Amino acid sequence: MNHITHRILPALLALLACGFVLAQDGGGRPPEGASQDEKRAFYQKRAADRAKAADSAAPAAAAAPAPAADHPHGAPASKAMADKAAPAKFEEPARGATRPAGMGMAMRGGSGSGSGSGALWLSDSPPARGDGLPRAGMGGMGGMSMGGDRSGPPTKRLWLRAGTDPVKSGFAKEDAEAPTEILLVKPQGVLTGEALPPQEEDKKNLAFVMPVQGYYRLYVTTRKLQGDTVNISVAKAEVSNFRMGGGDGEERAVALTAPRVLETAPIEIVREKAANEPTFFQLKSGDEQAFVVLQKGLPAQGARVRFVSHEGWTKEAVSDEQGRVSFQVIRDYFAPWNDFQKRFKGTYLVIADLSAAESGKHKDQPYTSVHYQATLAGSYYPATEDYRSYAWGLGVSLLIVLFSGAAVYLYRRRRIKTFQEVRFNDAK
Amino acid sequence: MTRSKTPGKTRLQGGRDAVNQVDFNRFRFWFQLVAFVLFVYGGYLAIDLGTHLPFFSCGYNKEGRAGVCYLLPLQHQLGRPLAMLFTAAGLAILTGFLLFALWFIVLNKGWCGFVCPLGTIQDWITALRRSLGVRYSKYTQGQFKQLTKIKYILLALMILIPLGVGGGIFSRDMSPPFCLICPARMILPIFTGDFSQFTVDFSSMTALVMTVFGMAVTGLFLVGSFVKKRFFCFFCPMSALHYLISKPALLKLKKDGDKCTRCGDCYRVCDMEIKEIADDVKTVDIMTDDCTLCLKCVASCPEPGALKATFCGIPIFEATEAGFIKRMSKGCHDGK
Repeated sequence: MNHITHRILPALLALLACGFVLAQDGGGRPPEGASQDEKRAFYQKRAADRAKAADSAAPAAAAAPAPAADHPHGAPASKAMADKAAPAKFEEPARGATRPAGMGMAMRGGSGSGSGSGALWLSDSPPARGDGLPRAGMGGMGGMSMGGDRSGPPTKRLWLRAGTDPVKSGFAKEDAEAPTEILLVKPQGVLTGEALPPQEEDKKNLAFVMPVQGYYRLYVTTRKLQGDTVNISVAKAEVSNFRMGGGDGEERAVALTAPRVLETAPIEIVREKAANEPTFFQLKSGDEQAFVVLQKGLPAQGARVRFVSHEGWTKEAVSDEQGRVSFQVIRDYFAPWNDFQKRFKGTYLVIADLSAAESGKHKDQPYTSVHYQATLAGSYYPATEDYRSYAWGLGVSLLIVLFSGAAVYLYRRRRIKTFQEVRFNDAK
Repeated sequence: MTRSKTPGKTRLQGGRDAVNQVDFNRFRFWFQLVAFVLFVYGGYLAIDLGTHLPFFSCGYNKEGRAGVCYLLPLQHQLGRPLAMLFTAAGLAILTGFLLFALWFIVLNKGWCGFVCPLGTIQDWITALRRSLGVRYSKYTQGQFKQLTKIKYILLALMILIPLGVGGGIFSRDMSPPFCLICPARMILPIFTGDFSQFTVDFSSMTALVMTVFGMAVTGLFLVGSFVKKRFFCFFCPMSALHYLISKPALLKLKKDGDKCTRCGDCYRVCDMEIKEIADDVKTVDIMTDDCTLCLKCVASCPEPGALKATFCGIPIFEATEAGFIKRMSKGCHDGK
C-alpha cells in the first residue's frame, strides 16, 4: 500500500499549492491587506452593482406569472418572490394592504399605526440586504455580518433601523431632540455596560469586536419629550459569539452563566432560553419562543408585546405578572419549491410598549407620563420538517436492506451445488 | 540480592502469564461495551473529550456523545473559503490535526479494534449472525486487492470536496461529504433515541442525492455487516488516515517470522482477511492498512512469541502455547 500513500501525499501537496494560488484571487472580496477605507469603497461599489442588478431584475420578476399553482399559499409565495426581486426601499411601504386575509387569528399587517410605527430596532443586516436569502461564502454563519481581520477576533456590525417591517424598515434618522445613548455589555465586562461611540458620519452601522465567547448585548436608548409625555425607546440586540468545538472551557462556562439582563435599562426584552438550548441555537418556524419584558431588571406586567414576522404578520399579547409572553413563530416562507432555501434567514421583530403615569422633568420640561418602548430582533429559519422526510429516509434504507439482502441470499443459493454421488469402482 | 529479585521477577512473570492466557474474546467484548457506553452515552455524564477523537464518536449524536470524531471538524475546517485556509485561521487545522495525531499515537489502530462504536456495532451484528447459524462471506484475493483502495479514494474525496465547497465549486449541501454518507451519523444517534438523521433532505438536488446516498450506505452497512465481518472498516477513510500516520504510534503489532510455522490460524480469525499476517515472515511491524489491531491474531497464535502486541517496545500481550491451549479449551471440561 506504500505506493498509494506515495501518490496521495504529492497529490495533496499539489492541491494545497493550487488552493493557495486560487486563494490569491480575491473574487468577491477586497484585496488582502487593503485598508479600511479601501475595503469600505469596495463594499460600497459592490452594493451599488448589486442594487443595479436588482433594478434590472425587478421588472422581469413583476412581469412573471405568479406561481400560485406550485403551492397552496400561492399568493404569499408570489408576494415573497416579488419582494425579493424588487430593490429594497428605505421608506416603509404599507405591506399589509396586499397580504391575503385569514392567514391566522389575531393577525394584521405589520405596518401598524400609532406609537409603534416608527419603532427603533437593531438589525444585523442593512435594509438592502434584509431579504433573508443566504449569502455566499460565510452564509453558514447565519448571515451574522462578521467582519474584521480573519486572524483576529470577529467584529459584529449592527444597523439602527426605524419601522416595524423587519425587511423594509429604513435606517433610523438622526433626531437632534432625541440623542442616542449606546451601551455595549460584554460577557466578561462591566455588568452595567460600556458606552459605545455613535456611528461615524459616513457609516450607518455600529461595530464592536467580540474578543471572548459569550452573549454581547447592545442597547441604544433614546429619550424624547412629546407634549407632556416622555418617549423612552430601548433598541436591544443580543449577539452570540461561541466557537465551534468549545474553545476555552472556563471562558465558555463564564459566558453561559453570565446575566443577560441590564438592571439599569428603563425597559428591555429578553429572549428566554430553553433549558437545553445549544450555543449555536437556531429558531425554526413552528417553534414556541418566549420573551420576558423587564424594567430595571424587574418583570413588567401588562406590556403590550407585538411579534412581527419576516413577512410582516403580527401577533399581539400582553405580558403576565412575570413579564413573560410567548409566541409561536409562524411559517411564512413559501417560496416555490425550486427556489426554496433551507438556510433562508427570516427576521422577526418584537416590540413591547408600556405606558406609565410618571411625572418629572426632561431637559427642564415637565412631563406627566412616560411611554416605554423596547425592541428586540432575531432570526429564524425554515423548520426541518418542511424539507426533510422520515418516510423517504426509512423507505430508501429499507429498500436497500431488502434488495441487498435478497441479492446476497440469491447469490449464495446459486453457489450451492447439489449433492452428486461419485462412485469409484475399485474392482477395475 | 538474588533473593530480593526473584519474587519480583516471579510476580512479573505471573502477571504476564495471566495476561497472555486471558480469555481474550471476553476481555475484548467488555472493553468494547464500556467504550461504547462511554462514547455514546458519556455526554449525559457531562464527559467531553473534545473534537479530535480518532474514531467514530459521532458528532450528530448530539445528546450522548462524549467527544466528536475528528473527521467532522476536519471537513468543516477544510470547507472554509480558500483564502481563509492560507491565513492564521489555517493554523487551527494544523493544531487540530496535531491533537488528533496525539490521540491516535496512543492506541494506533487499536482505536478501531477496541473503541470505535461503529466497529463494536459491526461485531455485535456478527455475533447475531453467528448465533443464527448463518455463515459469513469472504472476499477473493482479487476482490480484496481492488476493494482495499476504496478507503484511500474516500479519504481523498473527503479532503477534496470540502476544499471545493470552500472554493465555491461545490454546493454547501455537499458538506461535510463523508459524514453525509457515514452510517455512524444515522445509527449512533438511534441509541439515544434520536432518529432525526433517518431522513431524506429535499431542499436541493445536491442535498437529496447526498442524503439518499447516505441512507443507501446505511442499508448496505446493515446487510454487509451481517454477512461480512467488519464490513465497513474495509472502506473507512479514518482507517486510511490512521495508516498514513501510524509509524510513530506507541502500540504496535510485531511478528517474529523465525517462530512462525505459517499454520494460518491468525489469517482464519482475522475479521479483515489480511493474508500477510500468515504469509509474511520477514516484516516485523506487521500491521497493514486494513488491520484494526483487534489482536485476535495474537490470541489465536499457538507459537510462543511469534506474534505480540507491544506498547513503547514493551510486550503487553503475546502468543503463548499455554494461552492458546487455554483459549482453545474454553467450554471443554475435564478434557471432554
